[in-house]
Amino acid sequence: MTVENLDLIAGWAGLVLTLMVFSYLLADNFLYRIAVHVLIGTAAAYIAIAAVEEVLLPWLRATVFSDDAETSASIRALGVLPIFLGVLLLLKTSPRFARMGNLGTVFMIGIGTGVALVGAVIGTVLPLARDASNSFDHESVLNGAILLVGTLCTLVYFQYLSRRRSDVNRVHIRTLRFVGQGFVTLTLGALYASAILTSLSIFSSVIQDQLRFILDQLGG
Amino acid sequence: MQADRKTRRRRRLKLGNAVNATLVLALGFTTMVGLISPADSTVGVTADIFLQLAGVLAAVAVLVGVSNLLFVHLGRLPRVRKGGFYSLVVILSAAAVTAVHVLDRTDAWGGDLEGEKVGPRLFGVIQVTLESALAGLVFFFLVYAAYRLMRHRVTWANLVFLAAVLIVLVGWLPLKDWEGAGDVRDWLMEIPVTAGSRGLLIGIGLGTVTVGVRVLLGRERAYREP
Repeated sequence: MTVENLDLIAGWAGLVLTLMVFSYLLADNFLYRIAVHVLIGTAAAYIAIAAVEEVLLPWLRATVFSDDAETSASIRALGVLPIFLGVLLLLKTSPRFARMGNLGTVFMIGIGTGVALVGAVIGTVLPLARDASNSFDHESVLNGAILLVGTLCTLVYFQYLSRRRSDVNRVHIRTLRFVGQGFVTLTLGALYASAILTSLSIFSSVIQDQLRFILDQLGG
Repeated sequence: MQADRKTRRRRRLKLGNAVNATLVLALGFTTMVGLISPADSTVGVTADIFLQLAGVLAAVAVLVGVSNLLFVHLGRLPRVRKGGFYSLVVILSAAAVTAVHVLDRTDAWGGDLEGEKVGPRLFGVIQVTLESALAGLVFFFLVYAAYRLMRHRVTWANLVFLAAVLIVLVGWLPLKDWEGAGDVRDWLMEIPVTAGSRGLLIGIGLGTVTVGVRVLLGRERAYREP
């Protein structure tokens, strides 16, 4: 088999798979389900391959199977630790030994929580709060006021949506909530429209690619 | 006798919860302090090791998840009427990708394909094509959902939502006579939508902090025993 033949087979396979996915527009059918299950199988295999080749093998080579004579026993033991904890996760399927599997979960949750807290504070809350406080720096007074009021009212809207206290029904809070709901609705509407535009671009690109392939075949 | 056993079991379970909560607090706090400390400090190096351990553990967890998926589908194979055929498709697809990757790694292709990598081509054909087609399919669902929104019930929030959708879509069109539509869209995206997004993101950040603190204090049940 030549590379050209391989590309030709790949092109036809791509066309058939695309048609199988778009057949869902008629109804949920056998062809669409096959395409989705092909995607699940291949995605699972690719993820597993990436996990082994990009993470596990380099880690094991650097720790457990290191050729460096200076690698201490403690580093080799440290190399086994995450593998051991990961294998413990398998025990979570057994009701009897599920408690032991918790140890791996505890590691992930503990470290993940630390990262999430630092990321949320340093990466999201502080920069955005600073931007909100500088709303008037680069905009006109009206636009700056809309930016500041919009940000604050959106926060008030969510704050009071989750609470059932008597002060929620006060007129000024209700007004802030109303304004906040307006800003949230506008934002979600704009994001929705952006999602429509993005998916439309992808759709047109897919159709363009497949039509080009068909025309190439007809012309060739 | 049985009551004693139950009490002992309850005590043991509570001890397990305490150990888990202590480990979470220690790991989370050390990681947090290490991330905001200089990279060459002791706590910074410790946090770096923790992050590497978490990365490797996540990779093992991915492998555990993929094996679980394949075992579930293997178990469904005999039940042809209950989706056994689709399970066969999943297993064959995964096996094919793995086999091609192994052949790529061992340079086992002969003839004109010698030295070629078939894996990336297969990725482009199956993974990219299928994901693009599915993403393109989403376009129809989004448009249909917007249409259904107005048929379901007309409220002021629905009207504002639809107005925002229409302004962004019409503003995107290159209409010569309606150049103002583009300006309105730009203003909408730069001022009210930025304000709303900022509020939403700050809210998400504050929510993350709240849940994170609850986890560190052992108030969440994700890792606690029943």
